[in-house]
Amino acid sequence: VTPSEGARGGTGRQLEMESVLALRGLVLLRDSVEWEGRSLLKALIKKAALGGEQVHILGCEVSEEEFRAGFDSSINSRLVYYDLFRDPLNWAQTGEALPGGPLGALQAMCKRTDPGPVTVALDSLSWLLLRLPCAALCQALCAMSRQHACRGGGPAAEQLCVLGLLHRELHGPGPTGALSSLAQTEVTLGGTAGQASAHILCRRPRQRPTLKTLWFSVLPDLSLDLQGGPPLESQPHPDPHTPQVDPASHLTFNLHLSKREREAKDSLTLPFQFSSEKQQALLRPGPSPATSRIFYEPDAFDDLDPEDPDGDLDV
Amino acid sequence: MAAVATCGTGAGSTGSMVAAGGKNNVTSFQRRGPRASGSDSSYSRLVSIAGTRPSVRNGQLLVSTGLPALDQLLGGGLAVGTVLLIEEDKYNIYSSLLFKYFLAEGIINGHTLLVASAKEDPADILQELPAPLLDDNVKKDFDEDACNHKTAESNIKMKIAWRYQLLPKMEAGPVSSSRFGHYYDASKKMPQELIEASKWHGFFSPEKSSSTLNIEPCSLTHGYIKLLQFIQNIIYEEGFDGSNPQKKQKNILRIGIQNLGSPLWGDDICCTENGNSHSLTKFLYVLRGLLRTSLSACMITMPTHLIQNKAIISRVTNLSDTVVGLESFIGSERETNPLYKDYHGLIHIRQIPRLNNLIYDVSDVKDLAFKLKKKLFTIEGWRGRSFPNLKI
Repeated sequence: VTPSEGARGGTGRQLEMESVLALRGLVLLRDSVEWEGRSLLKALIKKAALGGEQVHILGCEVSEEEFRAGFDSSINSRLVYYDLFRDPLNWAQTGEALPGGPLGALQAMCKRTDPGPVTVALDSLSWLLLRLPCAALCQALCAMSRQHACRGGGPAAEQLCVLGLLHRELHGPGPTGALSSLAQTEVTLGGTAGQASAHILCRRPRQRPTLKTLWFSVLPDLSLDLQGGPPLESQPHPDPHTPQVDPASHLTFNLHLSKREREAKDSLTLPFQFSSEKQQALLRPGPSPATSRIFYEPDAFDDLDPEDPDGDLDV
Repeated sequence: MAAVATCGTGAGSTGSMVAAGGKNNVTSFQRRGPRASGSDSSYSRLVSIAGTRPSVRNGQLLVSTGLPALDQLLGGGLAVGTVLLIEEDKYNIYSSLLFKYFLAEGIINGHTLLVASAKEDPADILQELPAPLLDDNVKKDFDEDACNHKTAESNIKMKIAWRYQLLPKMEAGPVSSSRFGHYYDASKKMPQELIEASKWHGFFSPEKSSSTLNIEPCSLTHGYIKLLQFIQNIIYEEGFDGSNPQKKQKNILRIGIQNLGSPLWGDDICCTENGNSHSLTKFLYVLRGLLRTSLSACMITMPTHLIQNKAIISRVTNLSDTVVGLESFIGSERETNPLYKDYHGLIHIRQIPRLNNLIYDVSDVKDLAFKLKKKLFTIEGWRGRSFPNLKI
């Protein structure tokens, strides 16, 4: 229950969050040691489950009990959980593990989804990236959305959302670059002064990518709470407000003329000034190359004597 | 006696002509025309393939890349039998647009298309092709664009450098647009009937290559092997290399390969530095052999900004014929720089081939920038603010 004066701002932000978090396709949640992403992942899972989607989870890094902690029982019953944490190499041979190792688990997961909106959460993509060849993982991720589209009606872009948790300190620029080029949305977690932020980069096909920043916190019941900004405004923005580069500064000549300077410049006589008649004749790509004309403009120091035009008579 | 002589020579000359005909053209003067002998007729028939023209420098057969401005920068067009490599920009927006222009040009000219991709289904790519602009529409667009340009720069009559007014404003306008090099409207899609009337083959890598087996290093990845076999099959069966006795094909095969080298092809050069670094180079080497012996032209887009081992990029550049790099300003600090505010990115012509020639056919303007207006993709020489913008 929100107080009335905060309600309008709250709903505005809610709408903004809805539009930004309308996540489809491959979504990378890149977290780091300081700003962990599993709580955001669980918050997004809860949002998807409350929205009526099927939710499939591949758990690799934490145990199932730990992952399910925090969800209430109604949501927990809707989550379909594949556990790779307890026995990743299938040593116990219980027969309930998915065949084919982690890659087989991924492929089996997408076979078991019913048509309709589905959210698949991979906890975590880093775990898979460390154990599988990167190219094979990329191919499997792309295959998931395609196979889902084949089965159910409707384009894959709206139906399937794959949330992958990626710990960005674990991987070099190669795998992260490769996964970023495949992802439709990249959420990079960071923050300042105790307030977590998410930089969301959306790459829609054939459109310019958009970058948004949301300040949020995850409440204990795993719902997302959006804040307006960090509590202290004093930190400098590292973002795209670089100072405008003025190309005319730091030059050895002056490109910014005052009005007086400009008038003085315009009234200057140029050393090689042709008469306008000659200029026009030179500009016209002349149709008469046979005749050549001589242009003579006397300047101030010429002393033309009409009786002696060449000035060579000793008079 | 003279009359007898002429009669004699007349008779003798006819006799000698008959003899010459019998001896199969002893003379080296041959008439060019429909009655000419075999070697000439092939020359005249080659020139008459739709959508091609001989280069003005060395007679090499050229096809258009789909962008007349780019054709001019590459010396007239893309030579048949060569590879044009486009280094993708960071978000793959403009390189995929160039790819679509290439394919659209093929459809307009009636060439056969071969589209290979690992990310999108080729049928979907073909649905997204831009629509061709008709001649009078193009003129209208260019004229209104030129007016905008002029009003923005307020017709400065130059006082000192007045001879620049003599320079012809070479527009990339529809000079002879109907035969070589067409203009496309990026905001509209190509009409469905044109796509259906065209002949195309698609290669979608996830469907064709089934397994991800362990392959020994220094060999081609599975996806590349399948693609090469596919291309070779099409070239042979459709007769583009002239070796199939049943098929006498005089058309061009346009091959378009999208995102070559990305992990979706099974290649890991974008993921690690020490991966299978010879797979891609082997692929390009074999591809060049296939292209040189057939009537085909290939455009490849490659995400070179993701390749971790820089030596591979230089090897790939050497193995391709023409290499063009795109650098877009999105997300970089140049986006806010006022020097670059009119443009969307830079084009770098990294390599132009010397085919049957000793010299390059390079344009004079070295700094090239591109701009995607709402309909057209234009390339201009960029020289900052101080010089008049020479439109190419």
